[in-house]
Amino acid sequence: MKLSTPAATLIKTKSSKYAINVITERCKECGICVAVCPTKVLARGDSRNRRGYRYVVPAYPDKCIGCKMCEYSCPDFAIFVEAG
Amino acid sequence: MAVTHPLDPYLRVDRIPTMWCPGCGLGIALGAILRAIDRRIEEGLLKKENIAFVGGIGCTARMTLYPYFDSAHVIHGRAIPFAIAVKVVKPEMKMVIVGGDGDIAAIGGNHLLHALKRNADLLVIMVNNMTYGMTGGQLAPTTPRGLYTTTTPYGNPERELNVIKLAAALGANYVARSSITHPQLLERTIYKALAKRGLAFVEVLSTCPEIFGRHIGLRNPVDLYMELKKKVTVKTNPSIEESDYDWGRGFVIGEFVDRDEPGFLDTYREYISKSFGGGAV
Ligand SMILES: Cc1ncc(C[n+]2csc(CCOP(=O)(O)OP(=O)(O)O)c2C)c(N)n1
Ligand code: SF4
Ligand SMILES: [Mg+2]
Repeated sequence: MKLSTPAATLIKTKSSKYAINVITERCKECGICVAVCPTKVLARGDSRNRRGYRYVVPAYPDKCIGCKMCEYSCPDFAIFVEAG
Repeated sequence: MAVTHPLDPYLRVDRIPTMWCPGCGLGIALGAILRAIDRRIEEGLLKKENIAFVGGIGCTARMTLYPYFDSAHVIHGRAIPFAIAVKVVKPEMKMVIVGGDGDIAAIGGNHLLHALKRNADLLVIMVNNMTYGMTGGQLAPTTPRGLYTTTTPYGNPERELNVIKLAAALGANYVARSSITHPQLLERTIYKALAKRGLAFVEVLSTCPEIFGRHIGLRNPVDLYMELKKKVTVKTNPSIEESDYDWGRGFVIGEFVDRDEPGFLDTYREYISKSFGGGAV
């Protein structure tokens, strides 16, 4: 049986075409998503999660082209992009 | 609140965040592996309950802790013999071995050699961060020449072990190199490897910013990631000579070997049925 899910905070940022989701408690502030996003949607954040990491924020969601480079390059399953 | 990352159904989410350092390439590799498995499950080629992850010791081998499949975390270097034993007894299992360059090619090198020689029916994923990450960044046989590590403060004077050439020479059915800097390509490589009989060997170039990167001035995860990305060249059907392993000249990624010779289980079955008239096994 699957054990219970730990408390997590999901922040959904919507643009006209995509929703960028950040699971803030999983982010370790490594910056890889910020660096690989081809249209510079993401930025380092100011708020900290419970572990003290300043989680990433989708600063310019309207620039998102839905390529999911951030999702595929996040080592911590902390960010994912949905259509619509 | 329920977590909804697309890979959560395949993860033991109570163990996330992982133990890996911020920006470690291992999580990227795990994501690509799980997406490839997901595609094979969706197609009906694999069943979730017939997949087992096996790893020895090391940061990479700790990968066995996170997927929501059967898994075994065994003695350092001994993941391959453990997996072969399971496969012989339960041939319906898809055995996925995840290990570091140390686990697979150094302490586990002899097991790798014999599994390759047998074309054993296993998927061996060697995540090559070019060092022994877990124990503090000692020189690995896969550390590029000239680089500084914890145990080579004057630079590594040794030639590198190119595991791609080893796997190709000993007759694995599938031999490919990929990189965490190209996650979609890595996913496709694993996806293909999952369908092979015999031994499929995938080397995944990866980053260990915290321990490997710090000695070469690339401790920032983004800096090491970008440096590796610069060094990687994607090629379609590269020759085995192109698998050359050199930090200065960079690394070619692609499929070096793709053949379909009988695997260990096929040969084993054939001999048993020859001797016992098709009864057992
Ligand atoms: C028999 C044995 N020898 C040595 C060790 C110490 N040890 C633990 S992990 C490791 C190397 C790990 O390197 P690698 O497999 O490349 O994994 P990484 O941490 O780099 O992912 C060593 C030497 C051990 N645990 N067991
Ligand atoms: S020591 Fe290196 S390989 Fe291990 S988790 Fe940290 S960055 Fe990753
Ligand atoms: Mg290693």
